[in-house]
Amino acid sequence: MLLRNVFTKTVRDLRWPTFWVSLGCGAMTAYFAILFPTYSKLIDLNSLLEKMGPAAKLLGASMGDASTLVGFLHIELFSMILPAAIAAFAAGVASGFTAGEESRGTIDILLSYPISRRRIVLEKWLALSLACVVAAVVLWVFAIIGAAISASVLPGDRLAAALVMLVLLGLAFGAIALAISAATGNRGASIGLTVALLVVMYLVDALSAIVDGLGVIRPLSLFRYYMGDDPLRAGLNFADAAVLAAVAAVFLVIAVVAFERRDLAA
Amino acid sequence: MAPAIETEGLTKSYGRARGIIEVDLVVEGGQIFGFLGPNGAGKSTTIRLLLDLIRPTSGKARVFGLDVHRDRLAIDRRTSYVPGELALYSELTGRQLLDYLGNLQGHVDAAFRDGLVDRLELDPTKRIKSLSRGNKQKVGLVAAFMIRPELIILDEPTAGLDPFVQLEFEHLCEEARNEGRTVFISSHQLPEVEHLCDRVGIIREGRLLAVEAIADLKDRALRRLEIDFGEPVSADVFAGLPGVRDLVVNDGTLRCTVMGSLDALIKAAARFEVRNLHTVETSLEEIFMAYYGSGEGIEAGVAGEAGHVAA
Repeated sequence: MLLRNVFTKTVRDLRWPTFWVSLGCGAMTAYFAILFPTYSKLIDLNSLLEKMGPAAKLLGASMGDASTLVGFLHIELFSMILPAAIAAFAAGVASGFTAGEESRGTIDILLSYPISRRRIVLEKWLALSLACVVAAVVLWVFAIIGAAISASVLPGDRLAAALVMLVLLGLAFGAIALAISAATGNRGASIGLTVALLVVMYLVDALSAIVDGLGVIRPLSLFRYYMGDDPLRAGLNFADAAVLAAVAAVFLVIAVVAFERRDLAA
Repeated sequence: MAPAIETEGLTKSYGRARGIIEVDLVVEGGQIFGFLGPNGAGKSTTIRLLLDLIRPTSGKARVFGLDVHRDRLAIDRRTSYVPGELALYSELTGRQLLDYLGNLQGHVDAAFRDGLVDRLELDPTKRIKSLSRGNKQKVGLVAAFMIRPELIILDEPTAGLDPFVQLEFEHLCEEARNEGRTVFISSHQLPEVEHLCDRVGIIREGRLLAVEAIADLKDRALRRLEIDFGEPVSADVFAGLPGVRDLVVNDGTLRCTVMGSLDALIKAAARFEVRNLHTVETSLEEIFMAYYGSGEGIEAGVAGEAGHVAA
């Protein structure tokens, strides 16, 4: 049933990675949501962060109010751990889409059937998008259940807005990784470059809060659009979402064009 | 009708010695065509160009008269391919893989496919990764033949096949040919495919040297002959007979090489008392080498070892 076409085959290939990423991120979020009241009684996080001063901002605590669950989740998860996890997942998977088939040698057989290179890239991409959405939905459910257990306030629509941004960020980095691997056939280079870009962009965004000069290049960081407008509190910023979606789309097009033009590895 | 395969000045440069140069190849439909050459001669490069996996530096390639790049999907619907380095989705079982590839093709006659699985004695419930090389080859062969393609391209298909599968493979090729389909087989060993092919093309160092019908080659078969006569004979009687070369007459013993028919020589010899006659038919490999090989190749070929074309 899952072997009907490249899309369903890719869904099948991704079923376990998606399961574990969803479960991991979901459980982590639920854990923080459940334990939040205990934490906030034990430690006054806000004063702790104040004492840390600028260093706290490096950890992503640039605008959180740790006395609420929303702020707490923002600081603890949405600023660093979740985007890193979803971006690494998407980039790791996407980098293997064409380069993996090439290095295994299966691309020869696949392309000898009536399916175009473009279609292969797009169907695999669709499967990755679905996997990211599934992970986000699981995370939403876990977080809402966790918040309910600890009787904390966590608006479902705002959480959903933050997760939309999370998925878009993951897809943007996934598209970058896909473009590099589709253009070069080199999965290692694709993962390496994408992770390096992720770290640099994160640091540019985090440091721009404390280093004046970085403000100029901050718009180049995808993290600026991801949490720049704090969707957990303010809801979805459509302009920011459009930027991330556009980046993903542009790199997807680059991936398709590059892959269509290249000599494939023997 | 357009030829199954047609290339015009097809060239792929990789900077160094690899690649192919100005290959003009025409393979008419309804035959088994052997594409022969030593390893690294450009066989796989040519095949990958035909499949649009790589793009030519210059020149054109057409399959069924269709451009291999522009009309890719139309060609793919009518063609199948078994790569030399056969790589399959190892996490799937044989059955799952055949289902997947069948779905990509669109329509596969399940009864015909299952018949192939039975004929090759393939266990389709095993995961590909647990299969031996020979059994993986079986999966590749079923995948290639199950869609009943008009053109089947096989890159070094005979490597690693056990004798039973080899035989079934040859039957499959012959059946396909008898149904009017075209089979294109690359190999670096002429003896493995010579009895199977209708025509062969030889490629060496990226250049197509010749395309010959096997029957024509056989007509030009070289035989080495030695006749012991009961009396001394004169060389003059045999010199100048059609096809006779390298004539040496020593008392009552004649040695020579004959190209093509033995008729004239035997009739001439019949006038004398013939005590014994030895003949050694050279392999097609030697013939090929004699006509198209390099100097060292001829020596290696005439030495009679059934070695590689590349000797």
